[in-house]
Amino acid sequence: MTEKKTAVAGEGPGTAAARRGRLRIPTLSYAVALLFLVGLVFSLGNGNFITGYNLSTIISYAVLLLLVGLGQMCAILVGGIDLSVGGVMSFVSVSFVIVVQVIGYWAYPLFILVGILVGYLNGILLTRIRIPSFIATLGTGGIFMSLAMIVAPVPVNVPTPKWGYLDIFNGTFLGISNVIFIGLLVFLLYFAILRFTAVGRNIYYVGSNIKMSWMSGINIARTRNFAFILSGTGAALAGIMVSAVQYGCNPYVGSSYILPSIAAVVVGGTALTGGTGGAFNTLFGALIMSVLQNGMNVVGVDQYFQQSILGMMIIVSVALTFDRSKTPVIK
Amino acid sequence: MNDIGSSTNSEVTLALTGVSKVFPGVVALDKVDFSLHSHEIVGLVGENGAGKSTLMKIMIGVSQPDEGTISRDGILISPKDPSDAIRHGIGMVFQEGTLVPNLSIMRNLFLCHEPGFQKLGFLSRRAMREAASRLMEEVKVSADVETSISDVSPAERQMVEIARLLWLSRLYGQKHPVLILDEPTTVLNDGERTILFDILRNIKKEASVILISHRLQEIVENTDRIVVLKDGKNVTELPSANARISEIEQLMVGHTFSADRYREDEQTPAGAEEVLRVENLGRRGAFEPISFVIRKGEIVSLVGLVGSGKEEVCRCINGLENADTGAVFLKGKKLLMGSPNGAVRAGVGHIPIDRRNDGLALGMSVAENVNLLVMNRLKVWGFVSPPRERKNAKVWVEECRIKTPSLGTMCANLSGGNQQKTVIAKWLSSKVSLLILDHPTRGVDVGAKEEIFRLIRKLAREGIAMLIMSDTLEEDIGLSNRMLIMKDGRFVKEMACPPGKKPGPRDIIDAIV
Amino acid sequence: MTLEGGARKSVMVANGNVSGPLARAWRGLQKTGVAGQIVCLVIVMSIFAIGTRGKYLSWDNLQVILSLAGIPAILAIGVHQTIVLGGIDLSVEGVAGMCIVFVGLLLKNKLNTNDVGLWIVPVVMGAGGIAGFLNGLVITRLRIPSFISTLGLSWILAGIAVYINKATTVPLLDTQIQGIVNGSFLGIPFIALIALGLALLMQTVQDKTRFGGYVYAIGGDEQLAQQAGVRVNRIKIMVFVIAGVFYGLTALALCTQLGSAHPRTGSNILFPAITAVAVGGVALTGGIGGAKNAALGALIVTALNEGLVLMSVSPYVQQAVNGIVLIAAVALTIDRRKLGFIK
Repeated sequence: MTEKKTAVAGEGPGTAAARRGRLRIPTLSYAVALLFLVGLVFSLGNGNFITGYNLSTIISYAVLLLLVGLGQMCAILVGGIDLSVGGVMSFVSVSFVIVVQVIGYWAYPLFILVGILVGYLNGILLTRIRIPSFIATLGTGGIFMSLAMIVAPVPVNVPTPKWGYLDIFNGTFLGISNVIFIGLLVFLLYFAILRFTAVGRNIYYVGSNIKMSWMSGINIARTRNFAFILSGTGAALAGIMVSAVQYGCNPYVGSSYILPSIAAVVVGGTALTGGTGGAFNTLFGALIMSVLQNGMNVVGVDQYFQQSILGMMIIVSVALTFDRSKTPVIK
Repeated sequence: MNDIGSSTNSEVTLALTGVSKVFPGVVALDKVDFSLHSHEIVGLVGENGAGKSTLMKIMIGVSQPDEGTISRDGILISPKDPSDAIRHGIGMVFQEGTLVPNLSIMRNLFLCHEPGFQKLGFLSRRAMREAASRLMEEVKVSADVETSISDVSPAERQMVEIARLLWLSRLYGQKHPVLILDEPTTVLNDGERTILFDILRNIKKEASVILISHRLQEIVENTDRIVVLKDGKNVTELPSANARISEIEQLMVGHTFSADRYREDEQTPAGAEEVLRVENLGRRGAFEPISFVIRKGEIVSLVGLVGSGKEEVCRCINGLENADTGAVFLKGKKLLMGSPNGAVRAGVGHIPIDRRNDGLALGMSVAENVNLLVMNRLKVWGFVSPPRERKNAKVWVEECRIKTPSLGTMCANLSGGNQQKTVIAKWLSSKVSLLILDHPTRGVDVGAKEEIFRLIRKLAREGIAMLIMSDTLEEDIGLSNRMLIMKDGRFVKEMACPPGKKPGPRDIIDAIV
Repeated sequence: MTLEGGARKSVMVANGNVSGPLARAWRGLQKTGVAGQIVCLVIVMSIFAIGTRGKYLSWDNLQVILSLAGIPAILAIGVHQTIVLGGIDLSVEGVAGMCIVFVGLLLKNKLNTNDVGLWIVPVVMGAGGIAGFLNGLVITRLRIPSFISTLGLSWILAGIAVYINKATTVPLLDTQIQGIVNGSFLGIPFIALIALGLALLMQTVQDKTRFGGYVYAIGGDEQLAQQAGVRVNRIKIMVFVIAGVFYGLTALALCTQLGSAHPRTGSNILFPAITAVAVGGVALTGGIGGAKNAALGALIVTALNEGLVLMSVSPYVQQAVNGIVLIAAVALTIDRRKLGFIK
């Protein structure tokens, strides 16, 4: 440990053997097991847990977490983090409520575009201005939060005659809530981007070893910008959904999603160090967080105490998945 | 051990006897003896991998010997870590420096040993200033002692480190401090070099010095005795007074040159087609404009000492650095300078020296690492196809004989040699036309070395042009068709190495030193 | 690197050649280590002085600025140490919330009969210190980055705080502490003097003690510091404990200034604190800047916000301005050479 510079690139075999012991933790299977465990505990603990109404509440919150979590996951996979998702969600949801009344369905693509642009802005701050993502996004998150307050200082609602525009989220198809289809669709989109496109694969390479990626000719600036665009888009989609399912929203809504979004990602097993994890992890992470939150509500755990549990879960999951061999110094 | 050192008329202050250290697959030190007398400067020389750095690490407690003893003024010691070693008066000045950049000279000098300057829990700035100024006078540094380290020159930093070690030895009441200097002159200019050796001669009154350097000239001129290591063994030691540089080089390189080890019989002559053309490529402060050509299937070795500029030449060709003058052409097409992306797209492959950190995504699978460069070629209907991925990975894992439990095994779990082969496989699958190999056998055990040599020969047969920088002169001679020799940033000589008529190491030594 | 060195040298040469009172004053200013911040403060104040036709510089308004800057300054002095260390502490709001609950329980109030009087000061310092100790433990034992572990702890503590207190507002009746926090001496608000005193104390610790030097050594290069023999983990924990003590004091000052304790009182103090630290010139990369920078940064940010208030700019726009100021300040102070590839 004390021999920083003396051991760099030094006698390879010794260090190689020392680190070879680390194996890939099957995080995904742990996540699935955890989901079943949590579900089982709550269903045994309270008969009201498995009811149609309650399940739909769980699903709805899980999809919301999934949308913002998939985005957050891309930022984390590439080796950064996006703390601006809260601000972006707030801004998008209040603006959406106001704009959808004027331009109808066009509000959907418009605000997805807003998400893309905000993500690009975050990317630029990281890749061009070269500010660490956690502080750059803390800043932009603050800016968008206050923009949300400027747009609507108090909660806003969509008037009943305009509710038709929100059917995309509130309707059903074949008796199943549209929310599920939307969640699946976005999940498949992110999954496909990360798995089957070159730029998506590059997100993993850059997150796993950025210097090697640069030396291997990967355009790291473009890859990281793209990851943050995916993150901004996820947050914007979540912002739209929040407004749509509640027929309105308050400007503070996003701030309560920053930590849950990170939790959904890391509880699913995506490491904060970047490069390992994926869409399936986040899917299960979102389900776990949603089941947990709902279960605690049903069982009657104090709402504020739930917040403490969330904080603990983040610390524990990060501690379990963080790859310490990658960073000699942890700050 | 012969007792040449006794000519200095002083007692042995530090002695290592029968020291061995084994790393998996490599014997780094094999029963090495080393002794240091008080008031003596000893030069320690040997090629890369000869065991110099392991020996130093054992002296300062960074690693512990598997066998053998260390004694200080006749008493056995076993330093646990560098701060323990300094308590025994043994300290090392590292190539990269160990001073904290944002602290002042003064704070760095006394870091963690300030109690002597404390009054009522607060540090006395005046007392610290006085002590620091006195020390700085000793090592002839004129900068104010409250200048922060990031603002002083590399030469002055080195002096501060030396002063710190001297001061600590005095603090711990050591009468004969031992200073170890690892390649101290690489960052210095000629004037600074002279000053350094003046100071070292001055320090000799108090301390003993172990000097590690690739520049044999300065070793011969400034030391009392020279110890030569090769392959982790003592070769010999000789007084510096009448040592000849070429003689030392020969001792370092040794005579065990075996043609079949490098598969010399498989060496193919260079093709006619020109793959790489370097025209007047130059970078200020690193190397003067250089021009050369590498043809199809040709292996060219870039030979020179540390600081000869060969590393920088390679970094400019593969785009990791931007050159000031000149151009690089690959198969007639001019490369975009200073862009690894441009170089890779054109077909320049690069196997870095530190493959663990710069060559692989250790947390990802073998297949993913092998496929990194060819994602675009594995697409079906615009999407990366998993069957094609598996197929490509399988082909290259077999081709390069990577020993791995499965394609999905994480690279961190492979041995050093197999990791190196994975890096090679990654570049081969992308159909490179030029491959730059930066010390391809560094830290690899003997068996894996053979495999890598086999691969290199095979690549040459397939027409890939290669530029190699290797650990030993022997390897350079054995592998290459042609050698380009660099010295002090200048191209000095070209030498052909046809099979059967390879030049000997001594022919080259004269040119590089 | 060489370019920067050259630029620095040429600046030094320029200063050497120019003499006269102005140049001498500038050199004197540079020696303080906060020249840029003072210039920045002067610029901000002059802009608003012009914008408000001098109203900004009235004694009344300056008093307001000083009284408002006190609490952010105390907080910034706490937070900045963790940044000097090379980490960051995002647990400010949770720790403050926790301490406010203690204030609401123990200080003389309308809901219960407790009255510990001045003893509340050591109580909040202790509570904050324990929270900081927890932060330090999580960072050094679990070995996870401080920005995420402190964020997590912030949520844990905030949750517990509200849980204990049941989200009720506790009106405070104590007059002793309120007298100190809201009082003034020769027209200068006490809270500003307290902040000044704490800044001087902390700066002295940083300049004149071994501990202070070690903190900078860790911020400069943790591995080298460890090599030199610095007990890195112990120092880290100590820094987070001291930072926690400052958050405790901040929490106490906040609720006595308001006259009531509610665990959410401290829920918007993190962002301005980090902005203040960055504006003060404490590099996010660690090892650079001290208590004087943090305190001045808080003064600059307060002066800016107060100016915007005086020009009747919406408070939400102020927040956005703060966000932009934060990003700009970080972009200017960060040492990119040290970060290599920025994540």
